[in-house]
Amino acid sequence: MKFFICIFTIITSLFSSQYTFLLEKYDKEIELEAKILFDIAKSSIKKDIKLFIPKITNIEKKVYSKYFILAKECKTSNFIFINKTIHNDKSCNKLNKLFFTNNYKKLLSDSKYYGAFFWCKGRPNIVFIKSRLEKKSIELPNNYNQYIENF
Amino acid sequence: MKQVVLFFILFTDILFSDTLESLLKEYEITSENSLKTVDEKLGNVFIYSQKDIRLMQYNTLDDILKELPVGILNKNRFGFFTLSLTGSKTSSGFFRFFIDDHEISSAYTQSASQSWGDLPLDFIDHIEIYYGESSFALGNATGMYFVRIYTKSAVKENGGELKSVLFANGSSSHSIVHSQSFENGWSYLFFLNKNRLKDKTEYNNEILENSKDRKYFYVDVSNENTNINIGYTDLKKDAYMGLSFDVIPDSSQIKSNDFFVNITKYLLDDKSIKIAFSMDVENREYEEENVQGIGLIPVLDLANMGTTTPKYFSEDLKFTKTNAYVAKSIKYKNNNIITAFNITNKKYKVKNRKTINFLNQTNKLTEYNNFNEEMVYSLLLQDDYKVNNNLLLIANAKVDKYKRESYIKDSIESLFRLGVIYTPYENFGLKVFYTETYLPPSFYNVDFVDKRSPNLKSQKYKYYSIEGVYTTNKSKFGIIYHNVKIDDFMYLTPVGFTNIDHAIKTQGIMFNYEYQFSQKNKINLNYFITKLNDITTSPTGGGYIKFVGEHNKLGYFSSLIYKNFYKYDGEEVKNSFDLSLGVTYSFTKDFSCSIKGENLLDKSTKSLYTKGFSKTDFPLNNNDRRVLFSMKWVF
Repeated sequence: MKFFICIFTIITSLFSSQYTFLLEKYDKEIELEAKILFDIAKSSIKKDIKLFIPKITNIEKKVYSKYFILAKECKTSNFIFINKTIHNDKSCNKLNKLFFTNNYKKLLSDSKYYGAFFWCKGRPNIVFIKSRLEKKSIELPNNYNQYIENF
Repeated sequence: MKQVVLFFILFTDILFSDTLESLLKEYEITSENSLKTVDEKLGNVFIYSQKDIRLMQYNTLDDILKELPVGILNKNRFGFFTLSLTGSKTSSGFFRFFIDDHEISSAYTQSASQSWGDLPLDFIDHIEIYYGESSFALGNATGMYFVRIYTKSAVKENGGELKSVLFANGSSSHSIVHSQSFENGWSYLFFLNKNRLKDKTEYNNEILENSKDRKYFYVDVSNENTNINIGYTDLKKDAYMGLSFDVIPDSSQIKSNDFFVNITKYLLDDKSIKIAFSMDVENREYEEENVQGIGLIPVLDLANMGTTTPKYFSEDLKFTKTNAYVAKSIKYKNNNIITAFNITNKKYKVKNRKTINFLNQTNKLTEYNNFNEEMVYSLLLQDDYKVNNNLLLIANAKVDKYKRESYIKDSIESLFRLGVIYTPYENFGLKVFYTETYLPPSFYNVDFVDKRSPNLKSQKYKYYSIEGVYTTNKSKFGIIYHNVKIDDFMYLTPVGFTNIDHAIKTQGIMFNYEYQFSQKNKINLNYFITKLNDITTSPTGGGYIKFVGEHNKLGYFSSLIYKNFYKYDGEEVKNSFDLSLGVTYSFTKDFSCSIKGENLLDKSTKSLYTKGFSKTDFPLNNNDRRVLFSMKWVF
């Protein structure tokens, strides 16, 4: 009986959408960002993902660590998500890593990024650049085709 | 048993597995719920999310304010909607308005209605309304309720939007929003609006003109640690009733413009130091001509009405408000401490002011009194202490030192608040606040003071509120009880502002219910009732029922706002029922059209007005029935 009550609680919590008081900082958006990035990273890298986010905040640490192994520095990571302004961080420009950004302009101007997750016209978007995927020998699943652009 | 559990986990994993597309959609919906900035510690909060604003077709700030429980939106003699405490028509200072971090209330009246009441919401992301003292949160002037208006994020918009709203009565409003984020982390959001809102009311077979021409401009330039906001608004309109004794001025005009710049900077890696600087410049021009006489209280001498009553009055005023704020937050064990220091300077300059009396004598006036500058030094401290995961204690204290160098004496005022937020269960919570605060007299109060008792005192407030919230998966039920005692309550009599000689007591209860049929469809119910120990001059209760949702390309809403009847000096002002309906159809992701009908039953709320020195007020409708059509193109 306890087992079924437990299962019922899990299912109802999955559908729960109302909140009572928001006493902790609202992190559902970061949670979804982490989920989206996890989906992208696991589709791009076949081995274990070690994520590095420069200048990571405490709330990002808390949320992203549910999905990723977080690397403390760039050199021990294989997937780097740049979501803040970083000035000339040359130590993080290794070839055997994947770079992803949240800034479309950065994606266009810097060839180290193979994709970006950003907002445009008030809607979230994902773009991968085909030539950069080919250069890094990344084969994304078919459901990603709509996000690949051929520049 | 293990096999059953494994099967169940696998089953739920498949059932709830997220594709990238569905995750993106959920991310967009979550973002539209606008919960990121909510701060429960500031008071009892109402949220108007981006989704609510879009689907409910709230076009201007007043569209939201008119349905707010506890506050009553009255139209004043100059044709501006002002938010008053339930049961009264007194407005200045209770409600504070902020665009992002910047307070936009007028330095003259402490009200935002003249410059910002018709603020179009095209560049607004969401609005939070707190029933609580604002100055603890943001350091500045005191107020019992505050409205935080958050502009859209340039990073999230990252594009352009054109919107036109056309009204059946010939009114129109046109807006452009453009934003872009750059590689270096900076971004900008730019907003421009021009509108002409036609409005007129019939009174005694004559027409009271209240049409307005407005322009709004706003720009936000930001990066991760810095926000620079610049706002400008420009208004030209007739004065509606103005100050005329017979309520119908022969000719009148109001012109005003309001400009502000606000710079906020966060320092240190954890952004624990916040510094902010702002400056507001407000120009107000007023002109009225009326052969029946103008009730300009500051110049009237009741013993000598013949030579002191003007038939023409004009003035050109300039107000500047400068504000500097520094705050440091510290986390220590379970304490979250914020300490801040704030300096505000307000200046009032008369550029031109003159009257012409019935003997055709022109009087060039300067200031009505010597209250033309105010410095306020404030020190504030907040600590919220997390006793455990279910219990949070909050304490705020603030000291304000006023320097005025005028007949209104310098003073030191203090305010404090204690609060408890208790959530014994995940779906049940209680929130209790006790606050002691005050509202100082404004330049406007002092200009229009009752000359028999010119030493206006600050109004002193003691109030507490208790809120209970119960949630299930799809519904949320809330009750808020409030109890307010006001000493030295200030109100406008026919001969000027005065502090009332007895305590005003009011208490009320509010019920809120929300049921989400699905992620896209919901219904909201609200009912509130208040009791006042004095004469009521506006509704004391009301509520609303709203249904809003979307299906595929169609968005729809219906809302009925009710305010109860009340009696004033034998005059009964009837119940009002403001029914609005609207639909939005999205032809493509980027182009949509909407149609909306407001006050369809033509049973609008009414405001009370005084004619001359008459003791009997008369009511007039606040709104006409209106239909509007809008088009939005995103590029």
